[in-house]
Amino acid sequence: MTNYIIRRLLLVPVLLIGVTLIIFGMLQLLGPVERSALYVTDFPKNEKQIEGIIKKYGLEDPFFQQYWRWLTGVTDPVTGERDGGIIYGDFGYSRTASQEVIGIIQNRFLHTVDLALWTVFPYLSVGIWMGVKAAVNQNKFFDQAARVYSIIGTSLPAFVFGLLLLMLLYANNQWFLPGKMSDWVSQLVYSGEFKQYTKLLSIDALLNLRFDIFWDAMRHMIMPILSLSYISWATYVRVTRSSMLETLRMDYVTTARAKGLKEKDVINKHARPNAMLPVVTMMGSSIVGLLGGVVITETVFNYPGIGKAAAEAASQLDVVTILGLAIFTGFILIISNLVVDILYAFIDPRVRLS
Amino acid sequence: MTEMTTFPTGDNQLLEETKSDRKITWLEKFLGPDNYRIVTGLLKTPASIIGFILILIFILVAVFAPVIAPPVGDDPMKIPRDGFSGEPKAPGAEWTRNVPEMPFWYKTLTGNDEWVHLLGTAQGQYDIFYGIIWGTRTAFRTGLIVVIATVLIGVILGSIAAYYGGWVDNLIMRITDIFMTLPYIMMALIFSSVLTPILGRSLLPPLIAMITFGWMGYARIIRSDILSIKERDFVLAARASGVKNGRILFKHILPNAIFPTLVLASLGIGDVVLGFAALSFLGIGTEIGYADWGQVLSFARNWITVLNRYWFIVVYPGLTLTFFVMGWNLIGDAMRDVLDPRMRGKS
Amino acid sequence: MTEKDVLIQVEDLKMHFPIYRGVIRRQVGSVRAVDGVSFKIHRGETLGLVGESGCGKSTTGRTMLQLYKPTAGKVFFKDIELTALKNEPMRQMRKNIQMIFQDPYASLNPRMTIRDIVAEPLLAFGTASGREIDDRVRELVRLVKLDPDFMLRYPHEFSGGQRQRIGIARALANNPSFIVCDEPISALDVSIQAQVINLFEDLQKEFDLAYLFIAHDLSMVRHISDRVAVMYLGIIVELADRREIYRNPIHPYTKALLSAIPVADPSFYETRERIVLEGDVPSPVNPPSGCRFRTRCPIAEGYCAESRPEFKEVSPGHFVECFKWDHPDNQRR
Repeated sequence: MTNYIIRRLLLVPVLLIGVTLIIFGMLQLLGPVERSALYVTDFPKNEKQIEGIIKKYGLEDPFFQQYWRWLTGVTDPVTGERDGGIIYGDFGYSRTASQEVIGIIQNRFLHTVDLALWTVFPYLSVGIWMGVKAAVNQNKFFDQAARVYSIIGTSLPAFVFGLLLLMLLYANNQWFLPGKMSDWVSQLVYSGEFKQYTKLLSIDALLNLRFDIFWDAMRHMIMPILSLSYISWATYVRVTRSSMLETLRMDYVTTARAKGLKEKDVINKHARPNAMLPVVTMMGSSIVGLLGGVVITETVFNYPGIGKAAAEAASQLDVVTILGLAIFTGFILIISNLVVDILYAFIDPRVRLS
Repeated sequence: MTEMTTFPTGDNQLLEETKSDRKITWLEKFLGPDNYRIVTGLLKTPASIIGFILILIFILVAVFAPVIAPPVGDDPMKIPRDGFSGEPKAPGAEWTRNVPEMPFWYKTLTGNDEWVHLLGTAQGQYDIFYGIIWGTRTAFRTGLIVVIATVLIGVILGSIAAYYGGWVDNLIMRITDIFMTLPYIMMALIFSSVLTPILGRSLLPPLIAMITFGWMGYARIIRSDILSIKERDFVLAARASGVKNGRILFKHILPNAIFPTLVLASLGIGDVVLGFAALSFLGIGTEIGYADWGQVLSFARNWITVLNRYWFIVVYPGLTLTFFVMGWNLIGDAMRDVLDPRMRGKS
Repeated sequence: MTEKDVLIQVEDLKMHFPIYRGVIRRQVGSVRAVDGVSFKIHRGETLGLVGESGCGKSTTGRTMLQLYKPTAGKVFFKDIELTALKNEPMRQMRKNIQMIFQDPYASLNPRMTIRDIVAEPLLAFGTASGREIDDRVRELVRLVKLDPDFMLRYPHEFSGGQRQRIGIARALANNPSFIVCDEPISALDVSIQAQVINLFEDLQKEFDLAYLFIAHDLSMVRHISDRVAVMYLGIIVELADRREIYRNPIHPYTKALLSAIPVADPSFYETRERIVLEGDVPSPVNPPSGCRFRTRCPIAEGYCAESRPEFKEVSPGHFVECFKWDHPDNQRR
């Protein structure tokens, strides 16, 4: 067990180096002028400036030298000032957003966390509930409907679904809203009356006992949550359903029934826990998919999170920003995958022994 | 006591039938008997039949695009524009400028002498109908190119890893892990936008980006399949018979290992087209006005507040995209269902 | 049987499979599947190899054929040392030494026709080409008493017994003189087993084949073997002529095995002394010190744990590995 954890931990630096190398490799495809944004805030304007910057920051040096510099930054021998350096959190300067990239991350990431917080439960649970119910009522109406849903849900693109939601729930009647908060809320939040304990709007609203703000936050989040979740429901329905069907056919289920257990207990106590294993296996890899989905969803709903920041930066070809965001995301994913893998080792003993 | 009969009795019903050689079609030879049965089984599942029909319809649309929507100007992949005004026109609106030739079916079907925008236009007066019809070609092109490329890369890497084992295997699997840590859409987005200033706005940046980050699933699956088949008795028997290693790999291992990969690939086409549409929607990829479903959908971003009025910008390309992906998903699902119980039974 | 007739000689063959544990996958131990096995097989002779599941008999067969690379020991075919050969020369040797597998369902490639399966060894060495291949395949198929008209069918269209025959035909393709038969009939219905055994015997007579016949069914082995070796936990504990081993078993393990054979005579059971072994087979990762059988042996004593007994020829052709081979405790009833 400890062995497994140690080996899994040893993988982390490998992943980090690999991820940073890939991202840096992509960065190197650009010219030195664009790459100067890694270290300075102003665009070099003339030949002399360009040359000076290239020299100072070694923008035409061999690959690994630049890689190392990108990681650790460049220290001016005279002033002792340091420019750049990923490990210090200096991801460079975003020309399109006119701020440090790290600033973008700090501002936007928490918004995404706020959204993710409320997404997790519906994301994971609805599909499973549907799958179990479909299996128990095999071939009846609910089952047929669930299967149709699973086909549609995996075929309908996320952004189309988002647009449809906007069409139906917003364009006509404004039940739910895109964006993060209404104007009156934003005035209030930054006024000082409102205490930002966690910087997560919905939580802070509850902590401030402002339920009107909380409801406003929800109105803005419901559509993105649906948009992020419906695909997972479609996938989970299928996996849960087939796993459940298989489990229900097992001898121990028949035995439980023969012993006279209530059907409800047969399903909840015997069948379902065993059917869950393949589903749980799936959950781990869902996190990666969720982060990809966030990019599209936040863009469609104009939600100021880190996904939208990435999309904006990409469409304006502000590469330094995108790469900074990519590193950040990669880092988050490495950590969360590590946590998930270790949790699995606790749940499934086969994982430890492999 | 020696048995003197010329062939065994009572063993096998099949042999009791006529002794003439059964006709084995080329398809059965190519696929192998068990896979052949899978394919025939597939053709009997209603879900996969619907899938096949859908894909067939799309293939016909793509092939007959010039007939269905006669091109205007040199490049048929540029959506024809009826002027430049910013206000989208509803379906059925007149077509005043840049009017294309009248296809034969239009006159007979509608009795009209004049073209109309069958599905409306987006801002900039791009005709949606044309975008959808010619976008079918883009969908097939991108889907097939990306899937074929990623399958090739994945199979080659996975086979090398499984065949050599040891540090080679370890290295390749670590690399696969690294690539898999990163979210697909985001990486494709980033790489595509990095490549755009270098390669210009065209199909190329998103294609390369998607290929670079899309091969990992295939590598893993072929590797694990090869590893499990390697241990099967008939592979050992081939070694014992003195068959050379290369032949063992290509004649024994790969043909038995490739089928699950193909299942994944058919589901993959749907995913690739979805991903490509998402990239176009986000503004990375083809230039504005290129015939691509995601591109057409990206027009909707300007009209979020009045989507109920301009619903046709969303609904028509959205439905098309959905049905296309659905077709491939149905086929892939049916394949997986047929394969699954057999896979379990095999091991 | 002269020394000139020795076809196969196995000297102190060992096959250990490493076990890796720990963070950096160090080798912490090994499964000693085959731990020092020696025997000879002569032309046209059948050596039966019996033992419990997991005692290492299949591994012995496969290691002999160099399908696994032996950890130690030597294997000779006539006077060529197989263990010293490199890949390609060893591959060429496979014309002479062949193998028949236990599972008739798994040992044939489901995607190949019978014709292709039987022809493959011919193609591997260029023994025949073009038209000749078909002729030779027909001949081989007829030899195993199957109808050549069914050459173009697939394995799944045949029954277990027929598939086993196909496997035999494949093994015979390049005229081998020695075949390792790894439990070839264990997976077949009892009624078919006899047919297949008879086929084995006929082929042996006709082509002067030598067999290493691996099985766990003693009565079957008795029928077909000229000599019998009994394996336990990776080593041979007794080796003797067929008659001798059934009439005069010396090793306690052999005796226990023989006493368990069902006999179709009720009155026999009243007089027979049934030897029941206590305990489970120890793990091949960590075999008992000294004599391996001592943990289950009914007559074991303290000194049995100190060192491994010698593999001693106690009478011509009869070898036993036991300290108490002539001890009064160990007499036949």
